[in-house]
Amino acid sequence: MTNETMTPLLEKYATQIETVLSKYPPDRKQSAVLPLLYLAQREYGYCTPEAIREVAEIAGVEPTEVDAVVGFYTLFYDHPVGKHVVQVCNDLPCALRGSDQFLEHACQKLGLDKHQVEHGGATTADGEFTLESVVCLAACDKAPLLQIDLEYFERLTPEEFDRLIEEYRKK
Amino acid sequence: MADLINLFIDDVAVSVPKGTLIVDAAKRADIDIPVFCYHPKLKPVGMCRMCLVQVGRVKLDRGTGQPVLDANGSPEIAYGPKLETSCTTPVEPGMRVITNTDLVKRAQKDVLEFLLTSHPLDCPICDKGGECPLQNLTLTYGPGVTRFDYADKQHLDKHYPLGELIFLDKERCIQCARCIRFQDEIADDHVLGFYERGRKMQIETMSTPGFDSKFSGNTTDICPVGALTTRDFRFRARPWEITNVPSICPHCPVGCNISLGTRRSAKGGGEWEILRVMPRQNEAVNEIWICDKGRFGHHYARSQARLQKPLIKKEGRLVEATWEEAFSLIADRFRAANGKAAGWLGDRVSNEDAWLFGKLFREGFNSAQLVNRPHVAGLDLVARYGVGVGTNLGNLGQGDVVFIVAGDVEETAPVHMLRLKAAVERGAKLIVANARETKMDRYAAISIQYQPGMDTQTVYSLLASVSNQQSAISSQVAKFAPSDNKIKAAGQLIAEAQNLIVMLGDERPYPVMVQGQYTDAGRALAQACANLVVATGHIGKANNGLLPLWPHNNTQGVYDMLSAQGAEALSGEVKALYLVGTDPIGEGQNLPPTDFVVVQELFLTPTAQQADVVLPALAWAERDGTFTNAERRVQRYYKALPPTGQAKADWEIFRLIAEKFGLKWSFFSAEGVMHEIAAQVAAYAGLDYVCLAETKEEWPPVGTSSDLYFGGTAYDNRGGVGAQTKSLFEINGRSELKWIEPPPPSGQSIEPRRLNRPGTLIDQSAIYEVRLRAAELVKIEA
Ligand code: SF4
Ligand code: SF4
Ligand code: FES
Ligand code: FES
Repeated sequence: MTNETMTPLLEKYATQIETVLSKYPPDRKQSAVLPLLYLAQREYGYCTPEAIREVAEIAGVEPTEVDAVVGFYTLFYDHPVGKHVVQVCNDLPCALRGSDQFLEHACQKLGLDKHQVEHGGATTADGEFTLESVVCLAACDKAPLLQIDLEYFERLTPEEFDRLIEEYRKK
Repeated sequence: MADLINLFIDDVAVSVPKGTLIVDAAKRADIDIPVFCYHPKLKPVGMCRMCLVQVGRVKLDRGTGQPVLDANGSPEIAYGPKLETSCTTPVEPGMRVITNTDLVKRAQKDVLEFLLTSHPLDCPICDKGGECPLQNLTLTYGPGVTRFDYADKQHLDKHYPLGELIFLDKERCIQCARCIRFQDEIADDHVLGFYERGRKMQIETMSTPGFDSKFSGNTTDICPVGALTTRDFRFRARPWEITNVPSICPHCPVGCNISLGTRRSAKGGGEWEILRVMPRQNEAVNEIWICDKGRFGHHYARSQARLQKPLIKKEGRLVEATWEEAFSLIADRFRAANGKAAGWLGDRVSNEDAWLFGKLFREGFNSAQLVNRPHVAGLDLVARYGVGVGTNLGNLGQGDVVFIVAGDVEETAPVHMLRLKAAVERGAKLIVANARETKMDRYAAISIQYQPGMDTQTVYSLLASVSNQQSAISSQVAKFAPSDNKIKAAGQLIAEAQNLIVMLGDERPYPVMVQGQYTDAGRALAQACANLVVATGHIGKANNGLLPLWPHNNTQGVYDMLSAQGAEALSGEVKALYLVGTDPIGEGQNLPPTDFVVVQELFLTPTAQQADVVLPALAWAERDGTFTNAERRVQRYYKALPPTGQAKADWEIFRLIAEKFGLKWSFFSAEGVMHEIAAQVAAYAGLDYVCLAETKEEWPPVGTSSDLYFGGTAYDNRGGVGAQTKSLFEINGRSELKWIEPPPPSGQSIEPRRLNRPGTLIDQSAIYEVRLRAAELVKIEA
């Protein structure tokens, strides 16, 4: 099925991709879809249709199957996002611990519209941050909390939020 | 016999094979458990929760592992605290299932209430309305009112094209995944998936072209709601206005049973039209599937380009004429030809047409020069050693072997591909030998890729590794003893096979003159395949013998009819030539030199344009008849549409011409012709239109109109399941091995047949154009 065409990812990350693939048996290449998607997302900023086709090609599966994975997981983005993605949980248990006011503060700080943040997320004009409100990050007892990229920050105050943002701006 | 398990469902004692799911066991006892995601042709997933029941199991003593007995000495039953999904739970001995307690009824109501939270409830304009499982089950089991707020319903795209053939209504989808599972499990084209999750979950495709599968239309049948619809049927009619006419697909040698959904329509100027084609259940042939060509390739029957009246060439131009003029001219010229007449008969016409064509030549034109076009080798061998009566690919499994050589099953007999894949899952072993990779290689236990043109040699290598018995050809075969381990392993599989079917492909060059010698490579391959089944004794039994990948729907039947009448190949001078349903010029071939040409056709093909007389024939849907599929199953199709213009059925045209020769044939229907065929062709003895119309109970019971669960009223088989004719070997027990030296590779390049290759008939389906354009036409060496 896969005739070895060179995709841009393969060209640029040949060794990384090889390492990823070597972790799985040769007839189970599809297991590499997740790590390959992370790689593609880092490269292109989000999972573009072309990136999805590339990953499908490398993993020897149909693009539809890769796209379904992108659709399923909340940490893969099918649209452009900021350099850092900030997810604030605003589900009921967190709301009981004040996450709603916390989210409001976050919106103000980043100059974003709360309605947008709550419906799919919003990105700052400079393209640095995307803020999303999400449902349960599985740390309900430590609210208000958020996740930036892959890292968690818990029991936050508005001041701590501002500090975090400044820190990440420099990254 | 598989182990039987005894249990009670609603106090009815049921006995079913081990491994049966509760939902199916209940069906066997005529107890209906409502389902959405479950489909008897798909693996259970337990996604919709509609099939919840109460399940009690025999209580076991923890110490002894023995059943705990009550005061009366019968085993105590422990009911689980929760309802269980009957579509994922297999039966157990002594189990007690209850499908109608208050708890179960409440669960059914709740599941339906949830399923409908965002359903648009647009049944009045929905194509599925009237044959919709969601509608049926809601009326039977639903709550009647909802506690949810209408304003909370999601509003989504209702006309989303997944591809150029299938549309998705995102509001109607209930996320049962039947469509995705069909694509993954049955068709093995993984081009549908779910995007997002929870309430946002939606069907998506990313293939190019969209929803790229040769079987996509089947998802519209098994979708339990009106979410998936075909471009040409959507918003055209309500199911209850449709007259379903039983028919047989006219496109390939599988011979899928279909229903032609017909109706008069305003869009069609008040004329009868075929609005949709759906599979008609025949578990021995196509189960409940058809391919997209069968579903969308019917438009030729109502094409504007159809020939309306006879045409006669006058001063170099074809002009309209009456039947009488045409018949008189034909009679004059064929009489003048005085036996120097020849006929070319396409292999799409019915058995009845072919029989009378042969008869007209014998009795009227006094000639036996009749050719069944196009040339395929091995028709006689298939007639002798073809798969035995009772063959059913759906029964293959453990211990059975299928060997495919020189052919691409998915491209030439698509539904066979689905059924062979399923056979492999049940334990059958597949050996695939080709000059290139095909989809079948995915399921092959052993894939052999030979050098172009080395197919016959490969078959003999296989035979050499199977048997060292002395036979008429053993010394010749021995020369091909394999060194290749794969072939040896394949030989081992064949040696151990209980049943063996050899699928004879068609990827062979046409017969050619090589160094002054006439070489028919196809013949050599067919003989080799015949030798393989004869030498290993796999003939004359169900699920054993040759199964060819013939080019058209009735290749075998036309051969049977002509050969039984002593047809001979074209050899002598030809003064008058009669072509029926075939277009050699359009395919880049020449007609033999002749003075007079008659072409009987549906369209003014390039060959017809060269004719002296053109006769308009009826399309298959406008008349009745029978086709014989590659398994030699004779199947009836019925008249579904009124005639186009003045066109007549082929057999009737032959009868009217015969009259001009003073022949008084008393055939007034295709059925009458079948009586004569049955009387004169040994393999067809005993067949008539009554026995061909017989149906039988099918399992799973999706094709009964009372069924509320699987949708699609057209599945019902009311037209007959047909009958398989005996092979000559089954009739007279004679077999022989014959040696034809395998010819060296011809170096010719051939274009293997593709399902979606443009052609006279399929070109008339505008809806199918994208598929025709997208199909890669490859050339290979043979
Ligand atoms: S489109 Fe139909 S078959 Fe597919 S998941 Fe939705 S309801 Fe089920
Ligand atoms: S598999 Fe063949 S017979 Fe069946 S629908 Fe397709 S073309 Fe017609
Ligand atoms: S509800 Fe916010 S982390 Fe669980
Ligand atoms: S869960 Fe059993 S039918 Fe859907």
